[in-house]
Amino acid sequence: METRIRRIHVKLGCALSIAGFSAFSVAQGDATIDEIISPDLERRDIREAKIDSEDFEFTAYLGGIMNVEDFGSNALYGGSLAYHINEDFFMEAAYGQTTLGESSYERLSGSAPLLTEEERELSMYNLSLAWNFLPGEIFIFDKWALNSNLYLIGGVGNTSFADEEHFTYNVGVGVRILAKDWLALRLDMRDHIFEHEIFGEPITTNNLSTQLGVSIYF
Amino acid sequence: MNCQPGKRILSLGALLGGLLLGGYAAAAQEAPVVDSFSASQFGERTPEDLPDDVEQVINGAEFLNLYTGPGRGYVIDHVVEYGEQLWLLKRRTDWVKVMTRTGKTGWAKIADLDAIFAVEGDARGEQVAVPTPGIDGYSDRGLRLGFAYGDFEGANALGLSLGYRFTGNLSAELRAAQTIGAYSDSQTYQVALLHQPFPQWRLSPYFLLGTGINITSPNATIVATEDRQDTTMLTGIGVKTHLSRRFALRAEVANHYLLTSRENNQEIVEWKLGFDVFM
Repeated sequence: METRIRRIHVKLGCALSIAGFSAFSVAQGDATIDEIISPDLERRDIREAKIDSEDFEFTAYLGGIMNVEDFGSNALYGGSLAYHINEDFFMEAAYGQTTLGESSYERLSGSAPLLTEEERELSMYNLSLAWNFLPGEIFIFDKWALNSNLYLIGGVGNTSFADEEHFTYNVGVGVRILAKDWLALRLDMRDHIFEHEIFGEPITTNNLSTQLGVSIYF
Repeated sequence: MNCQPGKRILSLGALLGGLLLGGYAAAAQEAPVVDSFSASQFGERTPEDLPDDVEQVINGAEFLNLYTGPGRGYVIDHVVEYGEQLWLLKRRTDWVKVMTRTGKTGWAKIADLDAIFAVEGDARGEQVAVPTPGIDGYSDRGLRLGFAYGDFEGANALGLSLGYRFTGNLSAELRAAQTIGAYSDSQTYQVALLHQPFPQWRLSPYFLLGTGINITSPNATIVATEDRQDTTMLTGIGVKTHLSRRFALRAEVANHYLLTSRENNQEIVEWKLGFDVFM
């Protein structure tokens, strides 16, 4: 009898201790899992660098010449503002003005001029997209190696003369030589294509311009 | 023939000793190598012609290539080593001009500058990111500039727009356009609100609501009438697709409702094709 009671005690004790242990082990398991998966990592701070950007380019034409079909070639004045999207592309808004000469008809016929002096003032602007398709370096003697770009450019714009607006497409090619990384020399050739009706019926004209400009990045 | 037992034992001893010593040396050198020889050679040297107000950082990448120009085709003529200090001079498109401790300058790709750390002040050791233009998440705020070509009921139009994005879905736009037609030219200036319900779609549609003015000048050679200025109401739908993080193409059809002073109001439908650049 005594042994039996003792056996029961032992069993009870065992059961209790097992229960207690298992409870403890469960608690310990939770803690371990928490330790493993808890997102206790320190969040890394990332700060933005204080740095200047130079994506804009302002160009002033040092000299330019524009030929307006039938009206001769005259000096072109103007400038442009470009925004560099990435190393391959830039977008540009340009403005220019020139005057028209006498057409050969006016000179040969000796009749009254077709346009007044005021109507001979031509102004134009355009919005274009350009591709720096041949970036590289230009070597001058053995002293300088200057970064350069050959770009293709095209866009749409407006040409205003003879009291009329003319919708104008432009296509061209240019070369940019960087003397410093904020200073460049640009030589740009464009064909401005528009239609006019000065001679009675509409004709599409190709009007070439060449301009040499100096540009500053900012 | 030379393998005498004594020598063999000696060499075995040397081998064991070497192993033990090697293990000991490895244990003693647990601290990681933080500087290469040349990185530590110049210490805290500062270049003489360092511009003011430039940020100093330390390179945490294994190495950093410096190009002679801001373009992938230019020559890599210098490599900044791990642990070497450098200064960030300026950014152009996706490139940063940096100066090293020896005063050497070059251009680093922003994508390569992903492990640079601050050196000065309280933020010492903090990672530094070079801000890049464009959109990273679709909810980023930011400016955008767009050029467009359009057909304004038979007339050619060229447009310029400046937009600001408030949320991923909503943005405001200032728009100016010049249209040149056979019978009349006009200038339009508008302010519009754009809603993009699904900005994450590859081809993302948008709706447009705006108001503005329309200045029409009939061609003097055809009809002798005066310029007129009308208020316009603008509604439109369009679709946008991002070709890159910074560049999106867009196509749009908009209805201009001109509130004229004549008997009837006028409706003009405009088709437009253009691009936006995120700045």
